[in-house]
Amino acid sequence: MRYLLQRVAILLITGWAALTINFLIPRLMPGNPVETMIAKFQGRISTTAIHALELQFGLHSHQGWWLQYLDYWRNILTGHLGVSVTYYPQSVGSVLAQSVPWTVGLVGLSTVIAFLAGTLIGIRSAWRRGRLGADLSVPVALFLNSTPYFWFALILLYAFAFLLSWFPLSGGAASSGSPQGLAYLGSLAYHGTLPLLTLVITSLGGWLLTMRNNMLSTVSEDYVAFAQARGLPEGQVMYRYAARNAILPSFTAFAMAIGFVISGTLLTEIVFSYPGVGFILYQAVTSLDYPLMQAIFLFISLAVLAANFIADLVYILVDPRAREGR
Amino acid sequence: MKAALRSRWAQAGLVILAIFVLVAALAPVIAPYSPTNSSFSPLASPSLRHLLGTTQLGQDIFSQLVWGTRGTLEIGFLTGLFATALGVLVGIGGGYLGGPTDSVLNALTNVFLVIPGLPLIIITAAYITTKSQLPIILIISFTGWAWGARVLRSQTLSLRQREFILAARLVGESPLRIVVSEVLPNMLSLIAANFIGAAIYGILSAAGLQFIGLGNVNAVTWGTMLFWAQSQGALLSGAWLWILAPGAAIALVGTALGMLNFGIDELTNPRLRAGVKKLPKPVPAGTPEVGALLSLQEIEAGYQTAAGPLTAVRGVSLAVKPGEFLGIAGESGCGKSTLAFAALGLLRPPGAVYRGSSYLAGVDLLALTPAQRRPYLWRDASFVFQASMNALNPVIRVRDHVLDTARAHGLPPAEAIERATALLQQFEIPAHFLDAYSFQLSGGMKQRVVLALSLLLRPKLILMDEPTTALDVVVQRLIMQQIEWILGELGVSIVFITHDFSLLVEISDRIAIMYAGTVVEQGPAAEIYAHPLHPYTQGLIRSFPPMSGERQVLHGIPGHPPGLGEKLSGCPFFARCSARLEGVCDQAVPALLAQGDQHTVACHLYGQPPPVAAPTAVGEAR
Ligand SMILES: Nc1ncnc2c1ncn2[C@@H]1O[C@H](COP(=O)(O)OP(=O)(O)OP(=O)(O)O)[C@@H](O)[C@H]1O
Ligand SMILES: [Mg+2]
Repeated sequence: MRYLLQRVAILLITGWAALTINFLIPRLMPGNPVETMIAKFQGRISTTAIHALELQFGLHSHQGWWLQYLDYWRNILTGHLGVSVTYYPQSVGSVLAQSVPWTVGLVGLSTVIAFLAGTLIGIRSAWRRGRLGADLSVPVALFLNSTPYFWFALILLYAFAFLLSWFPLSGGAASSGSPQGLAYLGSLAYHGTLPLLTLVITSLGGWLLTMRNNMLSTVSEDYVAFAQARGLPEGQVMYRYAARNAILPSFTAFAMAIGFVISGTLLTEIVFSYPGVGFILYQAVTSLDYPLMQAIFLFISLAVLAANFIADLVYILVDPRAREGR
Repeated sequence: MKAALRSRWAQAGLVILAIFVLVAALAPVIAPYSPTNSSFSPLASPSLRHLLGTTQLGQDIFSQLVWGTRGTLEIGFLTGLFATALGVLVGIGGGYLGGPTDSVLNALTNVFLVIPGLPLIIITAAYITTKSQLPIILIISFTGWAWGARVLRSQTLSLRQREFILAARLVGESPLRIVVSEVLPNMLSLIAANFIGAAIYGILSAAGLQFIGLGNVNAVTWGTMLFWAQSQGALLSGAWLWILAPGAAIALVGTALGMLNFGIDELTNPRLRAGVKKLPKPVPAGTPEVGALLSLQEIEAGYQTAAGPLTAVRGVSLAVKPGEFLGIAGESGCGKSTLAFAALGLLRPPGAVYRGSSYLAGVDLLALTPAQRRPYLWRDASFVFQASMNALNPVIRVRDHVLDTARAHGLPPAEAIERATALLQQFEIPAHFLDAYSFQLSGGMKQRVVLALSLLLRPKLILMDEPTTALDVVVQRLIMQQIEWILGELGVSIVFITHDFSLLVEISDRIAIMYAGTVVEQGPAAEIYAHPLHPYTQGLIRSFPPMSGERQVLHGIPGHPPGLGEKLSGCPFFARCSARLEGVCDQAVPALLAQGDQHTVACHLYGQPPPVAAPTAVGEAR
């Protein structure tokens, strides 16, 4: 319990910090975002919208920062994130709501698959260290780890969508048909395979290396030797005694990893024109839609915090020392 | 640092990296054209004139790649520099100063660890209108320092407790001086690893940023190449090299940096070092001694290190009869634990048995594969480790240890639990501790749980490696009583390893004295105690007070045993022996020869050296 409370406290602080950074960036950056937007959307933004934007970004405002900050919080807590300029007159909230499920699905699925696959290969690579096949996994993982997501996405797109036409060039699902039923699921898979594959393959290397290193440290622990001395089957020693302990630090590494995966997802979505948050962010960036950008950053920060919280819960499940207090 | 470069990984990484740095430095020489020269025919296929073809705008892709090396490495280097500087400042500063400063900095680190980097960079970069590279680099550094700060902080915290730092503080040196002259030099490899990690992060982040058109897209880097390639439909027009080359270059540089970091990791964590070659099975030796339960024949074992093979056990032959208590004594480092692990085929890399046989009830355990050996382990011979503190898996319960052991050897679970409960009771541990985790047990309890486990399958033999060291005297006595009970009630053979000679005298049937990986004397306990023959045994007995009785002045034996890498040319005790015979003892390795009925000793004082000096161990007299 103490562990959990501690984690919750850290998450709350982090959440507060992320939201405050979100508040500060437009105010600290040089230049005037609203003017930039007006210039870009000449005549397409109404005066009331301009006024709203000026308020949101604290320009020409006679309010002190403190009052602006309170307003900012009130807007967030009541869900008023402003109006998107790109998708005018939709509110930022509703634009976000349409794209979030795609990204959450992609990130969630790819993280789980990459974590499991990378961890499994890492375990075996450490256990069979010294053999060519196992040691070769290291440079391969290092290569995957430093492969730009979007570049790998482009390669897959070119090979499997453009040249071979096995998969579509863009989109998240067939535009016709109701979002239900087996056919729709099929279309989801049809569109989602390449983005998923990109994310799984490029993020797998990191998990592999983390697990391999942890595993190599754990393998020389006494309890592993003691398990071997008791004549336990090799698989049991490898998984239940060594890997079960070696995996614990991976949950701690989760905080950083999930940030990378989300970053990768944003870029991957752009390449595949996948209708998730990354794609929207791209639209927002190219059209200087600052309210939308701010909202997306807000969402991503909260999503990362949620993912971290889930990782913490899982950690409590798998480590009795965190569970039974200490 | 130099040691890190010895790693195969680091070398490979360094070579790749050097090539890229060279290309960056010599860009004007290597690149055939200016990267911005757009006077060529657009989208030309690869040819001798244009190795990688040309872009949509008619620029030479190869020239862009070469010049892009320069721009990209610059970004990596500068991001590495800035992020590392921040990490060092926050991590080491906080860790060293401690107190509220540390709390705030640590909280800050945790926040930046979790806040997703790229989205933050993107939205920040979107506000920047200047077309310069530097703001982007600064922003990336600003999001990428936290991991390094965390690692450096924890290292600083542990360093701060070390003697030389404490000493410097006592002398009254200023914190800044201590950090610069004492702390930093000890963290160079960590800082280097940090720099490399941040450089990778910088290159990848900048590429992503430039790919979506942020930052200065007119600068020539691999990232901007990808931006232009994508925005001008390179793939659709078949110019796939335009995409492939810069991305592959990024991945390659990243891999090289990663390999370098891997080498540093191996340096700071010895457990990660490259595995040693698997040795063939040890050459078998001898035949099992008649009537012995365990018969070791000429066991030679040691460790394969980077500096060459070490021999920790130099041809040991020993036998244990059914129901017998054999004590093995010898000073720290003489190879007792190595021998015990070797005897059961449990020595793990870098440890290896080079030679010899270990016959357990007639079966040579060392000639078996691990899978063939498993059924014998624990069922016939169990092993209580020297450090039972860590022998229990921290994430499963005592009960699971019992059940796992039972299942591996076909003992029904119900019966296993019943036996375990009874055994725990015997060792004065309440049955509800079956459901405890090891962190809920005290040190002495862990030791007794392990002892109870060792009896679970009613083995014929138990190896005990210093089961009482590191425990307080009361627990020690309790455990010794329980061991006597095992011996008396269960009729199990016990091999008991200790450096506490006096402990052995009272309880052993036979005692073997080990020195420098060899058995120098063995015989009935009482006789060894009353009439020690080997000068080393004599010294050993003098240096320990009897278990009961007045403390006396201890007589240590001055000097050191020979190094494990040395080949013996004479008696290993020669240099420290007060009774040595010059010209004899240093010329031939003494063999273990019978002196009386059951007493053997390896010492030239008690017999002439055999004409051919060979370290053959002779079976003990009976
Ligand atoms: N992994 C290793 N790599 C290299 N050398 C090792 C390794 N493990 C042990 N050694 C060396 O082997 C020698 C024998 O070690 P061992 O643990 O068998 O000694 P010991 O007699 O059990 O000592 P102690 O009484 O301290 O337990 C020691 O000199 C030690 O330095
Ligand atoms: Mg030992």
